[in-house]
Amino acid sequence: MALSAATQPRRDAFAELRATLAGAHGAASPEAFTLAEEAVLRTGFPALDAALGGGVPRGIIATLEGASGSGRSAVAARLLAGATLGGGLGALIESPTGVEGSLYPPSLAAAGVDLNRLLVVPAQDAGGAARAADVLLRAAAFGLIVIPALTLPAVAWTRLAGLAHRSNAVLLALGLEASDELRYFASLRVRLRPREVRWAGAGGLFRALAGADVEATVLKHKRAAPGRSAALRCTWLEAAAPGAAV
Amino acid sequence: MPVVCALVPAFKVEVARLTRPELRERPLIVVDRLERGHALAVDPGAYELGARPGMTLLQASACAREAAIAVDEPARCAALWEEALDALDAASPLVEDAEPGVAFLEMRGIEGTPRAWLASARAALGAVSAGALPFRLGLAANKFVARAAALVADGSIVRPGAERAFVAPLPLHVLDFADYVVERLSLLGVRTLGDLTALPHGPFVRRFGPEAARGHERAAGLDREPLVPRPRTLRVERSLFGEGTAEREEQVLFALRTLVARVADDVALAGKRCGYLRLSLECEDGETLELPTLLAQPTAQAAIMFDLLRARLEGTVLASPVCGLRLGAERLEEGGTERSLFAGSDPDPEVVAVALARIEAALGPGSALRARVTSGHRCETRYAYETFDARGLVRRAPHANAAQATSEEGTLAYRVLAPREVGVRLERGRPVAVGGRAVVEVAGPWRVDESWWAQALDEGALPYASDAYDVLLADGTLWRIVHEAQRWYVRGAYD
Repeated sequence: MALSAATQPRRDAFAELRATLAGAHGAASPEAFTLAEEAVLRTGFPALDAALGGGVPRGIIATLEGASGSGRSAVAARLLAGATLGGGLGALIESPTGVEGSLYPPSLAAAGVDLNRLLVVPAQDAGGAARAADVLLRAAAFGLIVIPALTLPAVAWTRLAGLAHRSNAVLLALGLEASDELRYFASLRVRLRPREVRWAGAGGLFRALAGADVEATVLKHKRAAPGRSAALRCTWLEAAAPGAAV
Repeated sequence: MPVVCALVPAFKVEVARLTRPELRERPLIVVDRLERGHALAVDPGAYELGARPGMTLLQASACAREAAIAVDEPARCAALWEEALDALDAASPLVEDAEPGVAFLEMRGIEGTPRAWLASARAALGAVSAGALPFRLGLAANKFVARAAALVADGSIVRPGAERAFVAPLPLHVLDFADYVVERLSLLGVRTLGDLTALPHGPFVRRFGPEAARGHERAAGLDREPLVPRPRTLRVERSLFGEGTAEREEQVLFALRTLVARVADDVALAGKRCGYLRLSLECEDGETLELPTLLAQPTAQAAIMFDLLRARLEGTVLASPVCGLRLGAERLEEGGTERSLFAGSDPDPEVVAVALARIEAALGPGSALRARVTSGHRCETRYAYETFDARGLVRRAPHANAAQATSEEGTLAYRVLAPREVGVRLERGRPVAVGGRAVVEVAGPWRVDESWWAQALDEGALPYASDAYDVLLADGTLWRIVHEAQRWYVRGAYD
């Protein structure tokens, strides 16, 4: 109790400072936090790019956090499309037998990803995925590397963060929630939540998934203002459907 | 231009008989595989009984019940044929590899008589094990007639000017016409090449298309197709054997660096670039480890070769010390590497190739993949993975290098999950709970019914039927569930 009373003034000062900074961020124009064009990888969603200050900064670890159905894979696919369409290379490290499964190539193609320029690395465990990320970052030839949000020791994330910085690549971790270590080493964290799933048609055979509305909130951003959010609209394309009636 | 044709009719059949001499006395069908296989080649005996290449194994065996079945050995076929071609190099410097079992030799400028040319080709073949195959030789002024001569009788020689008369009595099957064309011509009373040449060229070509023009000329003993010699194979190989052994990785790498420098020098001296490296590590216990390595683009630079080989060695575990290294450079090509004017910021294929080799060394073969969209009705048949090849990284044209589309709307992605059985509660035939979680919204079913015809046609395939539903659960999860063989499975998730 005595210790709590002793630290109270310091905590009050900290709360005051946080409120001041939040006010300053809120009052500042978006341009004040906009990153240079060549320093970012655009998500392709104008609202999210604005919230991120132009896009995902290159040379960092970023996370897209959210439950299944939150739209994190849709944002990742859009980023992969941006990385591969400009003549660059993207990489997707995933665990097909894991809980998260693997991204369906036709839906990636429908999102605009150039599959010829996308390296897919199936990794059996976290160690394999981390090693693959290490090799690809060292090559400095891949603009975006997507991995599952692994639980790795801090020393591994330190190394990967350093390599991402040196190779000017984005290491994007997808998962339900980032581990404590990943939260620390990620320079950008975005939380995604589903707001509404849209359906088309009357019902039964005539009912079909039309898309989903998603809310993205910037939880952490080391190079721009955090706390912003964006509403994203994702449609479901028939070309990406996992099977067709015969 | 005198041309010798070296021909092995039904090449795959003869290779199978070479492997298994007991099959010589029986009609033979060569298939790609025993389970749901197809006939690749049939011998004349099996052909007489009704078996045809392209039939399913069941169909071919039903037609020719007494025929023996042999499984194709593509590697052995390729090795024997390559050996035969190398042997024929001794008879002529210009050898065309038309197809496995058919080779043409240009004899112009070579001293000797036609009989001497045939004898030299036969002697060359007799010196190798592939010479045990029943080769037929024919000589004529062009490739088509030389092949026809070899088909008619081994050692046939067609004198210049006698081509038309020689091929006139031959049946239409000698030409590469489709079966239906031969059948239609037979109905018109045209059965031999002589009958065909009697038809007027213009109306015949108008009726049967441009391919018929070439056939009509060939029926008259003319063949304008030039002989296309196969490229000369040049191999560069160096080996390094010391007095001691290399036990540590650094020692092996030190020796490898020396060896690579020598091979790169040899390749550069020959004015070539190498596209394929074959490294052999000979160990003290007698084991030899082979590391074939494909280069992203042909090169003569030692540093690139060394980086790639070192990456391949990273995941290698050796049971005993290395006592020797052998490095061969293959697929040697002329010329330099074409670079685009706008290639400044492109990923370097050589760097990517090294990264791919490191990935495979770390995670095992088949770890660096590229996805491809295929046609199919089922989720699992609508895509395939193939090995990621850094050579495929072709820079697109600048105008096609479009910026990423930006719009308010994105595309929902789909994740393929490992099939997991799940409990589903139904009400009036519709899922209302999946895995104990309430269903908020459901769409479907979408039925996939495939291969239902297979059993009727006795093709050996299993029919497949399933009903797929998209379900939105109370916690926001959006799953695709599939009802298949009386069980429910979660197959994928929208994300």
